[in-house]
Amino acid sequence: MKSRKIYNRILVLRKERNITRQKLAEEIGVNFQTIGYLEREEYNPSLDLAIKLSEYFGLPVEFIFSTEPQKPMSQELYQNRQ
Amino acid sequence: MNKQISKTSRRFWVIINYLSMFLILGFFYNGKSCGWSHTFTFAIIITAGIFILSFIYVYGITHLWKLVHTSSKKLDERQVQVVHRALQISYSIFVIMVLLIIYSYALVEKGPIDVVLAACLLYLAHTLPAAFIAWTEKEV
Repeated sequence: MKSRKIYNRILVLRKERNITRQKLAEEIGVNFQTIGYLEREEYNPSLDLAIKLSEYFGLPVEFIFSTEPQKPMSQELYQNRQ
Repeated sequence: MNKQISKTSRRFWVIINYLSMFLILGFFYNGKSCGWSHTFTFAIIITAGIFILSFIYVYGITHLWKLVHTSSKKLDERQVQVVHRALQISYSIFVIMVLLIIYSYALVEKGPIDVVLAACLLYLAHTLPAAFIAWTEKEV
């Protein structure tokens, strides 16, 4: 079965918090290369890993992950203000 | 952290590694049939050196050997997927190779396989999954 591509905001969230891939990987218990694969959207995480990431960033899973390309966070913030 | 080696470089060294293994096998059988000479011994030593160096470079430095031989409990979910896929493909390739050798031996009515060929098959069984990962993965 071919799974759908899952888009995410991990790279933006990690950069925003100024943490390294290595640090994030240690915090959620995966290899640092897995973070790279996730950021490049080349790997779809399991539900467990998705929840771990949402808990780490303190954001809902549906905000971090999506089955459709996500808008830039600045654009969403601007739209919410209006 | 393991050293990052580009995919092209990894592929090149995987080819060199298997090529040197087949050359050792070729030199050994040639030496056995034509009679041992200093040339064959020297060729085997040189090829064995290349074989060992390429093994260290492609499987040792990248930690691919370790990745494939580590318990899945110590790997993360992506690594488990990568290793399982590599093992699945390698198993198919290895089985086909072994069956071809067995059938060709049966066809030419040759005796049981010798120790050098058995060692090569053992080496292939252990390195094929790592070679598959080295060949296909973006980062290792």
